[in-house]
Order: sequence, then structure tokens, then C-alpha cells
Amino acid sequence: MIWQFMIQCVVSFAAVVAVAILFHGPKREWAACGLTGMVGWAVYWLAVQGGVSVVTASLLGALALALLSRVLAVVRRCPVTVFLTGGIFPLVPGAGIYYTVYAFIMGDNARALAKGVETLKIAGAIALGIVLVLALPKQMFGMLSAHGQQGPKPES
Amino acid sequence: MSQQDILEFTLEAGRVLLANGGEIFRVQDTMQRIAHSYGAENFHVYVLTNGLFASLKGDEGAFSGEVRSVNVTNIHLKRIVAVNELSRAIERGGVPLEEAFARLRAIETMPGWPAWLRVLACGVGAAGFAYLYGGTPLDALAALLAGFALEPLRMFLARRGTNRFIENLLSSAFVAAVSVAVVQLMNLAGAACSIDKVIIGGIIALVPGIALTNGVRDIAGCDYLSGTIRGIEALLIGVAIALGVGFVLGLSAAVPGVIAV
Repeated sequence: MIWQFMIQCVVSFAAVVAVAILFHGPKREWAACGLTGMVGWAVYWLAVQGGVSVVTASLLGALALALLSRVLAVVRRCPVTVFLTGGIFPLVPGAGIYYTVYAFIMGDNARALAKGVETLKIAGAIALGIVLVLALPKQMFGMLSAHGQQGPKPES
Repeated sequence: MSQQDILEFTLEAGRVLLANGGEIFRVQDTMQRIAHSYGAENFHVYVLTNGLFASLKGDEGAFSGEVRSVNVTNIHLKRIVAVNELSRAIERGGVPLEEAFARLRAIETMPGWPAWLRVLACGVGAAGFAYLYGGTPLDALAALLAGFALEPLRMFLARRGTNRFIENLLSSAFVAAVSVAVVQLMNLAGAACSIDKVIIGGIIALVPGIALTNGVRDIAGCDYLSGTIRGIEALLIGVAIALGVGFVLGLSAAVPGVIAV
């Protein structure tokens, strides 16, 4: 279990860094992007292992990921988009889209509908998680920047 | 430094942000900060997903207004970060408008990561997600190949300025076809692979994660119209992926001898 968890963490970190590169993320934020995505996925994974539904787990994952993104945005003095963009990918229901189509093609309409609705629910859960965290007042994160006034040096 | 130049620069900065994937609130906020830093009073701006409108009251009391349209958004995080840094520098003061223009031009033409790195990233990403979604290391290997194949096609389609719906339709069909072929070959070679995990990994570079996130953020910022536009985009991309993958799956199910998908 603990080994499995470690592997999940390492793989999600690498996968999210790959996404960050795909969208031209700055090199100095690669590790932070990977960390955000890893935490989001780790929360999701642990929740699913603990028997929580996929939709609720997605909400929890999105909450954790958005919270960390906001903290990092202040600490690294960098737009929150940079961390959110890559980090969200492990949670986005790519699998849901696939299984919906698959059931549809196979003529299993009931399953296609169920999977389609679940996919939309997951998307909604992610959306809700992000909205909730983004609605938190700026002041809550303000104190984090007090000792990081200078921020990281910009790279070329 | 005329009022007209301030308006011009503010709009251009907003346009660069918007075209590279900034969300509405950030674009508006940045433009207001820049205009304010250059001492512009009475600056008003309205931003939509695909356009910017701004007006500024000139020295003689006359208003001047300008409009920019942004037809295509290509996510480029480095440029967003750079515009953010530029606007912070302007706020601190000491960046003459001319220099700001020059820096903005440099940001606009700032290169992305080289093609080989993106192809590598696309493969690694596909492999990683195939594994995370319950695939075996062999599935991840097959997805790696599918990812390698996908990125060059995406770059080609993006260069041609292909319509986003068609781009995702073709890309997902292609990734599904490559996946079916790779899995078929691996199974023939005696290495059991599951097609679903491979395709799920492969399409990860296409899934509308950013449209979804930005749409949500626009709605969180009360930019309901822009949020709706992004939401529809996310839905359409999802449908395009579904159609592309579905087409190939349906086709391969109909061909005798191809593994049951």
C-alpha cells in the first residue's frame, strides 16, 4: 500500500511536469507544477482507496490542488494559472469520456448514459472545488508573501 | 507619452495575456493596473473570451476607445508569467512606455519549448496517465508510443490554424488508431495490453482541462458570459474527442481479426 502510494506520487509528479512542458510552463516552476498535480492526485487516490465515490474524491482532489496552487502563487509570486493548469490534468475525466464512448459504440446505451452523467458530475465536482478555493479572500494568503518579498529571480 | 499610447499599450498587454490563456479577471486587472500606473484617469475596460474593449479619457477631455479581437487562444504559460512580471515592474514605476512596448514585443515572440521536448513530454504524459488510470507498465509503454505519435500531428494542425473542433477530432482519432495498432502488435508479440488504458493515456493531451479550469475561473470571477463560452468549448472538445475515438473503435470492432476492443 505504502509502496503503491509512493509510485502513484512519483508517476503523477512526472506526468504533470510533462503537461506543464506541453503548455510552455517556465522551467523554474516545473517542480512546483508537478508538486501541485501530485498532491491533487494523492488526495484523490487516497480518497478512492478509502472507499469514497469518484465524484467526491475529485472534489477533494480539486480542493487540495487549488489550495496549494494559491499558496504557491503567493510564495513563488507567479500567476495561479501556472500551477492550476498542469495540476488539474490528473483529475480531468479523460477516462470518463472514453468509457462513455466505448459503451455507446458497443450499443450499451444505459451504461453510456451512466458513464456520461458520471463524467459531467466529475467535471462539476472539479469546478466546484476550484471555485470554492478561488473565492477565499486574498488576505488569507497574504501573510505567506511577507518573507518572500523578493521572489525567485526571473529566467530568460 | 500621450494618452493614446497608454491606451494602445494597455490593450496590447491585455491582448497578449488573453491570447496566451490568461483568464478574464487577470486580463482586466492587469490592464487596469498598467493604465493606473501610467497615470491614466478614467480608464475603462471590458474583456470577453475573444475580445477586448477599452476607453480612456484624453487630456482635452475627449474619450478615445479601441477594440482588439482575439480569435485563437494557445496556452503559453511562460508568456503569461512574463506579462505578469512586466506589469509588476510597471507598477513599481520606472518603466518608460517605450521600453514597456519593446518588452511586450519580446514577450509576444518568446519561443515555447522546442518540438523534441514537447514530443517527449507528450509521450511521458500519456504513459504516466495510462499508468495512473490503472494501466500496467506495458500499457504505459504503448501509451508512450501513442503520445510520441500525437504531438507532431498536433503541432502540424496548430501551424495550419485548423479549427479547434476538427483538430481534436482528427487528433483523437489518430491517437486511437495508433493505440489500436500498437496494442495489436504487442498482443501478437505475446505482451498483453489493454486498449482502454492506452487510449485514455493517449488522449490526455487533448482533454479540455484548461478550457474547463478557465471557464470555472471566469464564472468564479462573475464573468458569466466568458465562462459560458469556455464551458461550451470544453464540452465541444469533449464531444470531438469522443467522436474521434468512437469512430476508430467502431471501425476496429467491425474489422475481423482485430482484437476485441
